[in-house]
Amino acid sequence: MPDVNLTQLDATPVVLLIDDSQFVHRLLDARLRSESISLIGEHDGEAGLERAIEENPALILLDLDMPVMDGFETLRALKDEPRTRDIPIIVLSGMNSSQDKVTAFDLGAVDFVTKPFELTELRARVRSSLKMSTLLQMLSQKAQIDGLSGLFNRACFDERLNGEYDRAVRHGHAMSIAMIDLDHFKSINDTYGHPAGDAVIAGVAQIILHESRSSDIACRYGGEEFVLIMPETNPEQAYNLCQRIRERCETTIWARHPNRAVTLSAGVVGANEGSPINCTPSAWVEMADRNLYDAKQAGRNVVKASHIDGSPIQVTQAKAG
Amino acid sequence: MNAPDPNAFSLDVNDPEDAELIEYFLGELPEKVSAIASALTGEDIKELGRIAHQLKGAAPGFGFPAIGSAADQLEGSIRELDGTVASMKSVQEEVESLLSLCQSYITPKS
Repeated sequence: MPDVNLTQLDATPVVLLIDDSQFVHRLLDARLRSESISLIGEHDGEAGLERAIEENPALILLDLDMPVMDGFETLRALKDEPRTRDIPIIVLSGMNSSQDKVTAFDLGAVDFVTKPFELTELRARVRSSLKMSTLLQMLSQKAQIDGLSGLFNRACFDERLNGEYDRAVRHGHAMSIAMIDLDHFKSINDTYGHPAGDAVIAGVAQIILHESRSSDIACRYGGEEFVLIMPETNPEQAYNLCQRIRERCETTIWARHPNRAVTLSAGVVGANEGSPINCTPSAWVEMADRNLYDAKQAGRNVVKASHIDGSPIQVTQAKAG
Repeated sequence: MNAPDPNAFSLDVNDPEDAELIEYFLGELPEKVSAIASALTGEDIKELGRIAHQLKGAAPGFGFPAIGSAADQLEGSIRELDGTVASMKSVQEEVESLLSLCQSYITPKS
């Protein structure tokens, strides 16, 4: 699987309490002890925001009536910060005003609990928020993954591409993109049937995952086409990686058609560290696609790579045979 | 309003978790009492309001609903302060009744 953090779903959820009153910390510490959560606490909004960024809790309990940075301000800050934006927040307040409730929900709180706490109610609300956040997390992970290959899907690729592109441009990091396409895939489907074709897609996906690093982003781009985003990887390194994938694929023996090897072709375009990136993310992908086309023209089972400025890379690009 | 029963614990002293909370609250109470007293002497209305608000929210959870409602009364009176002598007097009275209620829970050190 791609870098999906499933272990996070199984671990004891961390709940962050932000409240200026030591009484409330003490009370909830005792009253939520029987829940399978780990409660951590801060006494003001600023420290709470920092702690939330550090610990990425599954839920935040936020007091509204705090001196200095009040609850609404803290809530706004938590929702403005990308690293804490998606953490569900239950607002705690001693003021039972409907205006406060409306404001809290408008600012993105998921629930509102009035002090003094009705403890069974508080426990139930904590439990339901945690359950909701687990389900949402699972859903968003599921929505990013292609069912057959287990790689990221196309929709996710577009998003990740933009993110990695921005990072490379901003920091002057190296980055490479590879388009990978199976050779004569249609004939596998036609000769051995679609289940055999599916097995090849899943198998090649495993090869790609196995050969790439955990920081690489492997996606299923279309039918038999894959795309690999390789952050902090120059085109020479990317070329070598794709060669390994190509060789592994060529030498794999398939259970459904042991006498029929499967090959793939790849087009790589990369930027060295510090080299200017003057094209858009989608133009970059198109350039990789043109190299893929050239690889196909060169007879397939070939990796063709170039620099983002169009110049050739330093490795001998002999066709393996 | 009837005087709240100072012994009306809504928690069970025989339950270890409840007992722990009661003990903690009683341990903190003298400090709160002196904070209220000095806020009153120093006419620090803001601080007085803050303590009242905290007690209102917390005391019932620790088994002291009477302190919670006295603090609620005080918070209400502070909110209604309008500079008149009558409103000042009402705050003063609320503080005194909160203080004497708190005092009634504090066992004198022998």
